[in-house]
Amino acid sequence: MTKNIIPIGPQHPLLKEPISVNIEVSGEDVLGGSLRIGYVHRGIERLAQERTYVQNVHLIERICGICSHVHTTTFCYAVEDLLGVEIPPRAQYIRALMCELERIHSHLLWIGILAKHIGLDMVFMHSWHNREIVLDIMEALSGGRVSHAANLIGGVRFDMDAEHESMVRRKLQKLGDQLFGVLDAIRTDPTIRARTIGVAPITADQIREYSVVGPVARASGVAVDMRRDSPLPPYDKLDFNVITYPEGDAWARTMVRVDETRESLKLCESILDQMPEGPVTTRVRRKVPAGETVIRAEAPRGEVFYYLRSDGSEFPARLKIRTPTLAALSLIPVQLSEIRVADIPVVLAGIDLCIACADR
Amino acid sequence: MFEGLFYLFVFPGLAFQVFCGLAFEWVDRKLLARFQRRVGPQWYQPLADLIKLFSKEDLLPTGASGWVATILPLISLAAVLTAGLYIPVAGFTPFSFEGDLIVIVFLMGIPTLAYYLAGMTSVGIYSILGGARSLLQYFSYEVPLLLAFSGPAILSGSWSVAEILKSQAELGPFILFQPVGFCLAIAGLIGKLKRDPLDIPKAKSEVVAGSLTEFSGGKLAFWHLTMDIQAIVGIFLLINLFFGMPLGISPWINTLIFSGEVLLVIFILSASSSIFARLRIDQLASLGWRILVPVGIIQLLFVILMGV
Repeated sequence: MTKNIIPIGPQHPLLKEPISVNIEVSGEDVLGGSLRIGYVHRGIERLAQERTYVQNVHLIERICGICSHVHTTTFCYAVEDLLGVEIPPRAQYIRALMCELERIHSHLLWIGILAKHIGLDMVFMHSWHNREIVLDIMEALSGGRVSHAANLIGGVRFDMDAEHESMVRRKLQKLGDQLFGVLDAIRTDPTIRARTIGVAPITADQIREYSVVGPVARASGVAVDMRRDSPLPPYDKLDFNVITYPEGDAWARTMVRVDETRESLKLCESILDQMPEGPVTTRVRRKVPAGETVIRAEAPRGEVFYYLRSDGSEFPARLKIRTPTLAALSLIPVQLSEIRVADIPVVLAGIDLCIACADR
Repeated sequence: MFEGLFYLFVFPGLAFQVFCGLAFEWVDRKLLARFQRRVGPQWYQPLADLIKLFSKEDLLPTGASGWVATILPLISLAAVLTAGLYIPVAGFTPFSFEGDLIVIVFLMGIPTLAYYLAGMTSVGIYSILGGARSLLQYFSYEVPLLLAFSGPAILSGSWSVAEILKSQAELGPFILFQPVGFCLAIAGLIGKLKRDPLDIPKAKSEVVAGSLTEFSGGKLAFWHLTMDIQAIVGIFLLINLFFGMPLGISPWINTLIFSGEVLLVIFILSASSSIFARLRIDQLASLGWRILVPVGIIQLLFVILMGV
């Protein structure tokens, strides 16, 4: 049978963001693939050097449209680390609450996309319908559905009152009630199982070799979670499970995200329970003392890594960002062999592509 | 002469089938939308889509044959419209003859062949893959579908749809005697119509739009119309073979029962496309040959024994 190249991307119904995957096929069998990225490179690391730290918070927010909050959180913790200030505990808890809400909404979005790719539009619609509740909460708290602008250097921009808290609790309760049925259905549905079990397995050795992090690593039994391994406050005071599955196939990657969604819902509750009183901002200087620091945080897709060097001025001397998707992308050519053409969407969806993060 | 033309172009021919096809598309899209907590389209949306497609520019890639691409959707449309003529609508059969079930099955197979050829004559890789998949799928669903259709024919001792309908009026609906056959027929029909969960030849996330990727404008509109009419013809056939109706009362009551049965089958089709994920082509082949065909043969043996 002749060999053909299926071009997926830069524009394809499968992709929401531009990358280019050229897949070599022979009939229905996939022989291999090659990857090209860089279509949405915006030079954010260079741009950051031309803006002040205060302006940079808003630039960093635009790295990603889904995990925008965790990027600014990591950046702010890095700047505060160089400044030598500790933000008030209430601000830490509000940052963590937004991070967990963001994780729920990112995972629900992902579940929807996987369902869409395997032709299960009903789960797609129901999962995104539930995601709206999370977006509503975030909008009510911060004023923004996607770009929340919640962080300032030295705290957060908004405070929560009792009315906010009861609203968040009520909506999370409603979300839990609606969501658990959908999540249980995903776990037991025979057609989802048929399409994901045993598809494109990744071994734990491969995970370590390619430095893959986040849910993809946890689905192969590698328990890495920056919330536990390198906790930013207040995660050291919170109790949660790191979800791992040993199988490493598309099914395990689905189940990790399904279980993490439940875990994040529980975390939101305990953050609200433990939320201390007090101010949400502290005054900081505009000029950051010379020095360098590394801060790591757990984004919905895995570890984000921020290296920040200051030369004592208002502008960062160097900002290096490493996002989880870049590592996971290197696994795509590895996975694109010994599968069928119909598995390509499952493979591409499985690592939860965020090209905007990866290209920056 | 005049009566013949009326049958051909108005009822149960062209105009009626186009109307039913578009109505089917609307009911189906509305039901799917409600299952997914969406609002769904207005009643005129399928017609508006069709008109819009006809007004669009008609492009073909370099290297594709223009007249083949034009003639394939027209042949398919003609085939399904002709098949529709022989199927009783609410008990009304102007052109019935012994053996018309076989002619209908043959005519309903033509669009699949045309779809395959459409994929093969386009130059894109998505079209070629879609075309090859449609033929593979055809081999998986067609045998179970034929086994399911033979059940009613053997039970009533006739290969004419009108005769099968008549014998059901005496014996009772055949779905009571062969529920398994009905399920097989539904599965086969889903495969024939390339609907979720068996929309493998046109799976959007895998092969874009399959054979129809390179089609646009009027040609695409004819393809969509063909799919809609194929669906409604298939549903009518299923109802006549498995549900039946008491004949010889008032035609209005027959129309009412017929419409109710059509809606029931559309509901089953929409629900099954909502709740199942798309299968892989190898999974479909194994489902078809390892499960559906043996089940169909057992059902057929059961029917033959029952007939004796």
